[in-house]
Amino acid sequence: MTLVRLTNVNVRIPIYDSHALRLIRLPAFGRAKVGTQAISHSGAVLIIHALNSLNLELHDGDRVCLIGHNGAGKTTLLRVLAGIYPASTGKVEVVGKVFALLGNSMMMNPDATGCETIKLVANLFHWPEERMAEFIRDIEEFTELGEYLSLPTRVYSAGMQTRLAFAMATVQTPDILLIDEGIGAGDAHFQEKAQARVQQFISRAKIIVLASHSIQLCRAMCSKALILNKGTQDFFGDIEEGLDRYAQLRDGPA
Amino acid sequence: MAELMTDIPVGTGEPKAFYVPLAIRTVKNLRTCLRWAWLDIVCHYRRSRIGPLWETINVLVMVLGLSVVSSAVIGGDVSDLIGYIGLGIIIWTTISALILEGMTTFVRNAGLITTSNVSIDCYVGRTVFRTLIVFCHHIVLYFLGLALLLVPLSWTSLLSLVGIALLFINGYWVGVVLAFLCARFRDLELIIRNLLQLAFFITPVFWKADLVVSSKRAIVDYNVLFYFIEIIRAPLLGQVPPFTYYAVAVGCTIVGYIIAVLVYQRMRRQLAFFVA
Repeated sequence: MTLVRLTNVNVRIPIYDSHALRLIRLPAFGRAKVGTQAISHSGAVLIIHALNSLNLELHDGDRVCLIGHNGAGKTTLLRVLAGIYPASTGKVEVVGKVFALLGNSMMMNPDATGCETIKLVANLFHWPEERMAEFIRDIEEFTELGEYLSLPTRVYSAGMQTRLAFAMATVQTPDILLIDEGIGAGDAHFQEKAQARVQQFISRAKIIVLASHSIQLCRAMCSKALILNKGTQDFFGDIEEGLDRYAQLRDGPA
Repeated sequence: MAELMTDIPVGTGEPKAFYVPLAIRTVKNLRTCLRWAWLDIVCHYRRSRIGPLWETINVLVMVLGLSVVSSAVIGGDVSDLIGYIGLGIIIWTTISALILEGMTTFVRNAGLITTSNVSIDCYVGRTVFRTLIVFCHHIVLYFLGLALLLVPLSWTSLLSLVGIALLFINGYWVGVVLAFLCARFRDLELIIRNLLQLAFFITPVFWKADLVVSSKRAIVDYNVLFYFIEIIRAPLLGQVPPFTYYAVAVGCTIVGYIIAVLVYQRMRRQLAFFVA
């Protein structure tokens, strides 16, 4: 069984900067459309209220896209689900093997070649040794990177990195797959392949959480939408309803 | 409380059950760390013409330079001193690399820490193993010294393996503690850098401990770094180090790992915030 359950989760991000308090002179966070609701401080440490009393329950087969303005808390939420950020209060329950595909996190060493990166990732994430050959073949096929796999990953374009990272993230179906916007860097052909792969996985009943600004991508990959607005949950439900609601939110007053 | 922390046992809630899985996981990950470190080294050399030789040459130059200076200032024949000083420099380079690289581990890997859920001991292990691999490059000079008969060969030399193991085992906990503290308190890195430089001069690396006047013996007697140097250097020069040196090293190991676990427990969850 795969499950994600957040109960009344608050995330406060401390900013450790010896001059942090100077920042607080910035005016009127309340009026800003972008960013979070509040910034407070405790002593010399600034605290961003990144997520506020979030409640969420995801089950097998849920494909959710996170939508919201920049700074609304999408990435923060993904990091909480990945176990990178702790919740300040509230309860985070995640049952299942999580794979986080955030940023270019899979490029463990920019000087290593694609093949070396695959082997390293295999090690770091404990892929079964006996299936390695099969995995590598699968990744080669999916990424279509050809001889580029023998070149250092630092020479890859963003799209190529995305291909490799996505292939590695999905070669073994993870229980919970978290994807940040980076996936949008792939071309149309890649997007199709990625969608097909995601469809495959869903038939095996898994959870996907995708943060993206591309309405198209959200529609193609997800069945549900979670709208975040300044760190609070604005809407959670059917994707079409969500997209309508987001359009209103975007055009309407802040 | 977050139920999920990729490398903090999930949902057990019992603190006493926490140490054993942590230790098991850390040990299990060591092989992965070694491979990662190896890859780092390989990548590092790929763009250099003589690659690994540079490491060895750097230390060789340092050893020759200090041996000449030392024999000129303190007296004695260069060929007598070079074994002692050479090993001193090799071991010191390792100690200082363990500290300097260890303390920046999390800061250097900030990008990965904030975007992936790789268990964090992998980063520490990677740093320690990389230092070990570089150490192996340097120790080639010892064998060169053997060939040139600058250092004696005896069965006692094998005892140095115990010292080497103790040094790296301690390097690991130092790495954990400093990496956390330096990620949170950025001034610490600069302070340690400074102190380490000073430590190089007050530790008998390129001068002999018995040169210190008896009223100021304290700088040697209470210098733990000297103990770690001696448990490797003395056997390689054919002497058996005093038992106390080993006792101190083992004591450091035990106390060190206790501190490391406490620091881990206190700071692990906040780590992504420290480096973000």
